[in-house]
Amino acid sequence: MKIVVCVKAIPDPEIAASIFRVDEAAKRMVPLPGTRSVMSPFDEQALELALRIRDALGEGSITLLTLGAETTRSIVKHGLSLGADDALMLVDPVFDDGDSYTTARALAAAIQRMGGVDLILTGRQAADGDCGVVGCGIAELLGLPAVTFAMDIVVTDGMLVIERALGEGSEIIEAPMPAVVTVSHEVGKVRYASLRETMKAARKPVTAWSAEQLGLDASELGTRGARRVLERLYVPVNDVQCEYMVGETPEELAGNLVERLHAARLI
Amino acid sequence: MAKKEIKGDWILGWPDRKRPRSEFYKDTEGRVVGSRTPFLELEGLITPTDAVFVNAQVQMPEPVHPEEYRFEVFGEVENPMQCTLEDVRKLPGRTVRAVIECAGNDADFFNYLEAGGTGAKPSFELSEEDGIHWRLSGKKREQPIADADTLLKTIPSTCMLSGGEWTGVPFAELLKRARVKPGAVAIRLEGWDRGRPDPILLYRSAARTDFKVFDPGVINYDKGLPIEKAMHPDTILAWAHNGEYLQHVHGAPLRLIVPGWAGNWWVKWISKIEVMNRMPDCYHQTHYFVSGKSPEDPDKKMMTALGVKSVITEPRDEDSPLPRGEYAIRGLAWSGEGEITRVEMSVDAGASWRDAHIEYSPDRWLWKRWSFLWQAGKPGEYAIMARATDEKGRSQPQTEWNFLRKHFDGIVPVRLTVE
Repeated sequence: MKIVVCVKAIPDPEIAASIFRVDEAAKRMVPLPGTRSVMSPFDEQALELALRIRDALGEGSITLLTLGAETTRSIVKHGLSLGADDALMLVDPVFDDGDSYTTARALAAAIQRMGGVDLILTGRQAADGDCGVVGCGIAELLGLPAVTFAMDIVVTDGMLVIERALGEGSEIIEAPMPAVVTVSHEVGKVRYASLRETMKAARKPVTAWSAEQLGLDASELGTRGARRVLERLYVPVNDVQCEYMVGETPEELAGNLVERLHAARLI
Repeated sequence: MAKKEIKGDWILGWPDRKRPRSEFYKDTEGRVVGSRTPFLELEGLITPTDAVFVNAQVQMPEPVHPEEYRFEVFGEVENPMQCTLEDVRKLPGRTVRAVIECAGNDADFFNYLEAGGTGAKPSFELSEEDGIHWRLSGKKREQPIADADTLLKTIPSTCMLSGGEWTGVPFAELLKRARVKPGAVAIRLEGWDRGRPDPILLYRSAARTDFKVFDPGVINYDKGLPIEKAMHPDTILAWAHNGEYLQHVHGAPLRLIVPGWAGNWWVKWISKIEVMNRMPDCYHQTHYFVSGKSPEDPDKKMMTALGVKSVITEPRDEDSPLPRGEYAIRGLAWSGEGEITRVEMSVDAGASWRDAHIEYSPDRWLWKRWSFLWQAGKPGEYAIMARATDEKGRSQPQTEWNFLRKHFDGIVPVRLTVE
């Protein structure tokens, strides 16, 4: 079974919010010196799920697929250390400043060129942009079934049995292969990279393809191919107003709180 | 010994062992406000700075630029001063290597031993699940935490200790220049960390919530150090830690180092030094970090020097069962009153004791590594114990049970099955 896991490098979500800046004029995030890129945690969940599928089947290959500059190499190395077999990086300046559509376009073209892929996993969304459409975009462009918010996948008799996270529970559905499945965060704890696997990862193959190798024209990619129009990029202002409840006794205090919550239509 | 897979990481571009790092507790802005030391995963005597535990009793303050940093020395002195960091750095320096241990470290072991030392043991393993870590937000808890008392018990009481090298200037050098008046008995050091002490800290310390806590309102953290300890040559004002400038979370630009005494004496972010002719009634030594049998005990006393303590780092209960064979039992030992001179081992639940090998170290305030070669030739159940003695002749345990469960230094057995 051949599994492709699409992964994205994002700024470390654990950096202090106070140092996060955007350039509103250029409509971009200001790069933060000294901070590292990490694999989007939802993609990490997708990789964990792929590893569990391979563990359960006892066979199969897992390829990491990523689009981005050389800086994404660190997350590729991380994914290989966790147990992926190889990686394909899409590296070309024409990919820069694209949107979810151009990303899906490039990833779909790479998957098509790879051939023989049974299952494509993505995080349910990237943890930086939070758009959540690339996975379904790949499925649409490749004409494959798309299943979203997976928390578990079992492969049985050539079919995917997928547990999907719902707001108040889950549902189990079946899908034929090949398919695209986006993975939610309910997969749970991601395994740690062992030293043995990390040392093996140093020798695992990492291939880089350009737009030309994908047979894509620059007009379909990056800024030129983007279908999203970014009107404004800004850090929202959280204007929190704190109101202190008063009361002579705990009972009076609680009563005043209830009245205030009623007035605010919160209860 | 049960073998755990070694964790891997990319270090300077090469596959390598993953370096132990604290699991951090962060505020809503992603800033670290607390962490524990993964000391079981470390080697040597000095804890790498990134693995040193972080703790603040009140609100972690905003940083101050080292060039704009000032603190006052006033009170019972003939020469009140306002000092900069550079002023302090001009004084004759001193580097001290010492263990810093939070007074509440291992508090849950009081209950463990009280219950006979056979129940579920507070873990030294730092679980990622216990950290506030958004990546694990999807992790399903087996049972949701229903009430405050249970929630308090999920906060680990272990791993609040580390060994470090501190560079600064003897406090006595500064006080000498301030010309302390005769009759001074205490030095009150105030940090610019400010906040309203959280009653949860006391409830957590006491492992109960059925008593009233004193509310001092919003205060700056302060401690009144007895003048004898302040004048000890190893009590220093430090601006550097482990070979580099002090990090903000550890009290930069300047903090107090009080070797042997619990971490709450090591005042961080120093803003005021007041020489006093009486002991001040600082909240953190009259209401918290005090001994006593109960919250109502009228005879509560401030707690100062740590007891004498040893910890078996290897093997752990989790390594059981072990095949028959020869094992190195290893550990660390330290004391609040100086050098460790002896560590004894018992592999028969304290029925007999033999001396362990203590590694040479010139630093009397730092912990010592010790080891003991154990021939585990016979199958059976074993309770392995270590007992340390310091240069003053004090042996474990020194600290009696107290209602806030501070300064635990009891002998904790490691229970192993040999097959």
